[in-house]
Amino acid sequence: MASGPSGSASATVERLTPGGPAAQARPTSAPAVSPIWGFIGRRILLGALVLFLVSIVVFFATQALGDPARAILGRSATPASLAALREQLHLNRPLVEQYLTWLGGLLHGDAGNSLAAQEPVTKLIADHVVNSAFLVLIAGAISIPLSILIGSYAALRRDKAFDVAMSLSTLVFAALPEFVVGIMLVVLFATTVLHVLPGVSIIPPGGKPWDDPTALVLPVLTLVLAVTPYVARIMRASMIEVLESDYVEMARLKGLPERVVITRHALPNALGPTFQVIALNLAYLAGGIIVVEYVFNYGGIGSELRDAVYNHDLPVIQALAMLIAGLYVVLNLLADVATILVTPKLRTRL
Amino acid sequence: MDDKSTLESMYLGGTITRRQLLMGIGMLAAGASIASVLAACGTSSGPIGGGTPKRGGNFRLGVTGGGAKDMMDGQNIITKPDQARLVTAFETLLIYNEQYELKTDGLAESVTQDAPDKWTVRLRQGIEWHNGKTLNADDVVYSFQRMLDPKNGLFGNAGLSSIDPNNIQKMDERTVRLNLKQADSTIGEQLGQYYNGMVPVGYKRFDSATGPSGQIGTGPYKLQSFTPGQQSVHVRNPNYWRSGQPYFDQVTVIDFTDPTAQANALLGGQVDAITDIPFAQVDVVKAHSGLAVLESPGGGWLPLCMAIDIPPFSDNRVRQAFRLIVDRQAFVTQVLSGHGRIANDLYAPFDACFASDLPQRHQDLQQAKSLLASAGFAGATFDLHTTDGAAGMVDSANIFAQQAKGAGITVNVHNDPNYYGDNYLKLGFSVDFWGTRAYLPQVGNGSVPGAPYNECHWPPSDSNYIQLYHSALAETDQAKRCQIVHDMQKLEYDKGGYIIPFFNNLVDAYSTKVSGFVPSKGTLNLTSFGHGFRTVWFG
Repeated sequence: MASGPSGSASATVERLTPGGPAAQARPTSAPAVSPIWGFIGRRILLGALVLFLVSIVVFFATQALGDPARAILGRSATPASLAALREQLHLNRPLVEQYLTWLGGLLHGDAGNSLAAQEPVTKLIADHVVNSAFLVLIAGAISIPLSILIGSYAALRRDKAFDVAMSLSTLVFAALPEFVVGIMLVVLFATTVLHVLPGVSIIPPGGKPWDDPTALVLPVLTLVLAVTPYVARIMRASMIEVLESDYVEMARLKGLPERVVITRHALPNALGPTFQVIALNLAYLAGGIIVVEYVFNYGGIGSELRDAVYNHDLPVIQALAMLIAGLYVVLNLLADVATILVTPKLRTRL
Repeated sequence: MDDKSTLESMYLGGTITRRQLLMGIGMLAAGASIASVLAACGTSSGPIGGGTPKRGGNFRLGVTGGGAKDMMDGQNIITKPDQARLVTAFETLLIYNEQYELKTDGLAESVTQDAPDKWTVRLRQGIEWHNGKTLNADDVVYSFQRMLDPKNGLFGNAGLSSIDPNNIQKMDERTVRLNLKQADSTIGEQLGQYYNGMVPVGYKRFDSATGPSGQIGTGPYKLQSFTPGQQSVHVRNPNYWRSGQPYFDQVTVIDFTDPTAQANALLGGQVDAITDIPFAQVDVVKAHSGLAVLESPGGGWLPLCMAIDIPPFSDNRVRQAFRLIVDRQAFVTQVLSGHGRIANDLYAPFDACFASDLPQRHQDLQQAKSLLASAGFAGATFDLHTTDGAAGMVDSANIFAQQAKGAGITVNVHNDPNYYGDNYLKLGFSVDFWGTRAYLPQVGNGSVPGAPYNECHWPPSDSNYIQLYHSALAETDQAKRCQIVHDMQKLEYDKGGYIIPFFNNLVDAYSTKVSGFVPSKGTLNLTSFGHGFRTVWFG
């Protein structure tokens, strides 16, 4: 995997050199170690710093939720049972000490014990993380190529019927909150109009979401409809800009076939800004999936997070918040690397 | 045969009582359908269109209100799914039927009060635990000792606290004598509460390390698997002591986070029954040919509570004025969308001694205004505390504030997420929630000093309420006890701190493939979850 990106990067460099502004670049003067590795290294360190800061915010912000012992016991709390539970959960130690213990545990892959379930957090959330990750991956694997395809095609057919229809429909879906889309799909395919698909995803404990693919259709479709419009619109705008650029005109004037102009010169340059939007959308999916999981009763981190907040189950909230923050950092790093790889102008500035 | 004659023939055939007949004819006149009339009358003689019970199938129940803190314990619950799971495996000595009448129909062959402070439990012969051992007196002694140890924090602890834990005597293999610390005539009622289940010697609550094998009960289903917040699977107990029952091969209890997803699962056929459908979904479910709504007259209540020793509520004129401000029907309409009945500031409507003869209070803003003026609080401002503790608590507070404007006063509603914190039970005017109980057990829980939740700080120091309470607990004659209980209710009606606008119904839904669900009075949904899913079957 490590050699993959850099290998293809240099190949891209060779290919792009005759065409666009990359002609001014100096691909031959690249040092023995590609500067991209130094960049990645710096970004990883920066990401670690961000996560450290996030951990401070997450830990101390979650304390504001109130006393977890009281939230767990609810109305049945008595002073004696409260004191016993606080002792058991180490809630009576100084906050900074609690934070350092928590952070130390986190670095060793131990996120503490759930206050509500009295089980290790990692064990409690493992299945949910797999379920959510699977949902996001499937939704991403469908929506990313789909939106690039739709966006590019709309740009090529600018102001023609397809483009107008695409602009209108993506605007509609981008404007609808995903729970509305989800409920509409349920009404349409599960409960009222047709009865062809399950309206909720019931994943039995120990089961995996892919055991019953039909139960995945509606949640995935909802997420695809939530993400595709944004990415497709950015792709279209970006592609139109590229198609009007000097180097694409140059390529056309050189007499290159239109297919080559688009796939070799236009598309790679239009993808740069799109990658950023894709990364943001995937990261958004990881957090925004909460609503979709709620609508479909899908047992992922969204439902887990909601339940944890309800129970004031701090270790679970903290672990999930750190997980989502980590995902943001990683996806942004990947998007930046990918953008640089397809944008010679940026690459040469490393 | 028209609907009216259908009802009459049911009356003659003994299927329904005279009271139900008259009530039903009245409802028919009001335009209701025969099925809904029968449902509302709560016929207990068998399911509507039920037929002969059949064996087989996996019954899937959707329940909201659960989460990671779900538990399984034969004597404790925190969430609603806990209730459904408890009754699959654990049973009580006595049982409440669909009319909330206490029946000797449980694990005990007899439960007798030999003296005001002595009760004797005699077990049925030959009831087996899930592991094949026979239920005996040692198990009963262990069960009581477990419930009575406050360290265990079990749900029934407060209600049983008059039993002396060190003086529970095993008389023989099937007989146990409960010696009380003081006279208590409510022990029998406590023994019928679903959460006071019998567990075998050495029993412990479910934990994922030991797995389902530790959940040994006498109930109709054995626990096969359980993941808190997700689902549990219960398989038929082939050696169940009630012959023929249960009917399902398997029961699956599934947690739902969102009531709409839960309703969608029922509409799409992924579950066979659900608890507490959102009121907005009632018509959707009714319109669906394969589904039915089960509306049960529950005894749950959301009181507004005035602490009778905190000014200005220490003045009974203010309390009476506040009670006269309430338009009870508007509460039923706005908080419950009509799924409830108006109440009269008294709790325990299913108690045999319930004071139904006290005149129904109605809104009287003029009277309220003049009472407030004479107490010196005309046009005053009051604080009302509430929280999202149970559905309707915030609505109730807001509706009261709205109605109070009619009496010229201002009520500021404080919605506090940490309501059940340090200030709980110390507030002057607040909203709370309660389930169904008989009168005296409810008093022991919330209306005498020493009760765990005496939110209204009842009774006033100059009343003889506490003496009445103790003499009622000591009175073994039902008629005499009812007279005392009536006097107690009269005191609360005249001077109490509670405003009780309504009792809510339990509104559940199920697939018509399932037979055996009947409306029932009580705390639990779906006919006490089919009494542990043993009185329901796939028709």
